[in-house]
Amino acid sequence: MTLEQVLWYYLWIAPHLLLALVLAALVRRRLYRQFPIFLAYIGSEIVQFVVLFVMLRVRSVSAEQYATAYSIGLALSTALRFGIIYEICAHLFRNYGVLNRFGKPLFRWTAVALLLAGLGLGVYAGGRDSIRIIAVIPVLERAASILQCGLVAGMFLFSSYLGLSWRSYIFGIALGLGIFDSVELAASAIRAETGHAYARPLDLLVMATYHCCVLIWGFYLWAPERSSQYALKVLPETDAESWNQELQRLLNR
Amino acid sequence: MILTLILVFVALAALAFLVRSATKRASAISSAHDLAAQIRPVDVDAFRNLIDPSEQEYLRTHLAAAQFRRVNGLRMRAAIEYVACVAQNAKVLARMGEAATRNPDPAVAEAGARLVDSAARLRIFALQARARLYVAILLPGMGLTPAGLPESYERMTGMLLLLGRLQRPPERISAAL
Repeated sequence: MTLEQVLWYYLWIAPHLLLALVLAALVRRRLYRQFPIFLAYIGSEIVQFVVLFVMLRVRSVSAEQYATAYSIGLALSTALRFGIIYEICAHLFRNYGVLNRFGKPLFRWTAVALLLAGLGLGVYAGGRDSIRIIAVIPVLERAASILQCGLVAGMFLFSSYLGLSWRSYIFGIALGLGIFDSVELAASAIRAETGHAYARPLDLLVMATYHCCVLIWGFYLWAPERSSQYALKVLPETDAESWNQELQRLLNR
Repeated sequence: MILTLILVFVALAALAFLVRSATKRASAISSAHDLAAQIRPVDVDAFRNLIDPSEQEYLRTHLAAAQFRRVNGLRMRAAIEYVACVAQNAKVLARMGEAATRNPDPAVAEAGARLVDSAARLRIFALQARARLYVAILLPGMGLTPAGLPESYERMTGMLLLLGRLQRPPERISAAL
């Protein structure tokens, strides 16, 4: 077994073993109630890994069967990642009444715009594979990457502008997902341009990024909640209600 | 090829932004006790003067067109600076509100939540106001000019009310700390 193969197997196996720890953290902190889709994603990633690993080791399984199982898993993971983004968004905006009015529609329209841009760019950029089904998968993969990367980055940008605070674990989930999506986007764009020329190093890059992503999830889910020690001791006398009314009046004009 | 390069650049920019957000968050937590010091003073009267339509009309009638454009641009840029200050103050207030939401007293926590909500509204409004002021720089005949005066002025006066109100809570809050 070459060093590259050892690395490849490590990057395939290790993150999925670590995902079991992420799953344990979700159960320990009872976060599965708040993040059922994230829990489903972690579970499906582990199951997919076991199934694909067994299929790879069993000689009677053909390459086509493996590719089919891999594609189904990829589609499921992609769909679940969209669900995770929705969950993060819902939790982020939950405590802010004003964002239910402005943030959610803004986020929805951003998603529509990114979807159109992703599909347009995916189709326009095309690919080098002559087999239709193999050509379609990278296009969809790239479109999904653009959408997911854009949504996560947009969420960070929006919350940064508004000064919203994130709970540590929500921040960790979003950060890991965002980092994975951005690297996946770059890799899928290069893959579409170069075909199979750099397939192996790109696969290793994406797998290494996924490993980092799982480590980030594990860190933020296992680490104790970090929050500012700054706390107001006395009830602040603010005219926040008046602000609300005033702004309501202004925004309704 | 160009499209690929653009996508790779966008992806790397997003990655850099996310990493920066993570490091920024860590430093923000450690420096939270300096919040009150981060409030920037906003001279409401000066801002009111900058967007005063009668002032603008006076300048329009007494200056040559090119000169008016230049002066108007400078005034609007100054107004944008003020709005930026207000937006920054709102961001700090939001963090103060967040801190208050962790208070064991439900009344304080509720007041904090309301403060956060108000600050978020003001941030959104500041964003709209800045866009409007930039339009006023590019197209002096639109937006803040007498043609669209009543509505624009009303909106800006409304914002001034908010600015004035924004001045007081930090003092009260910092006094209460």
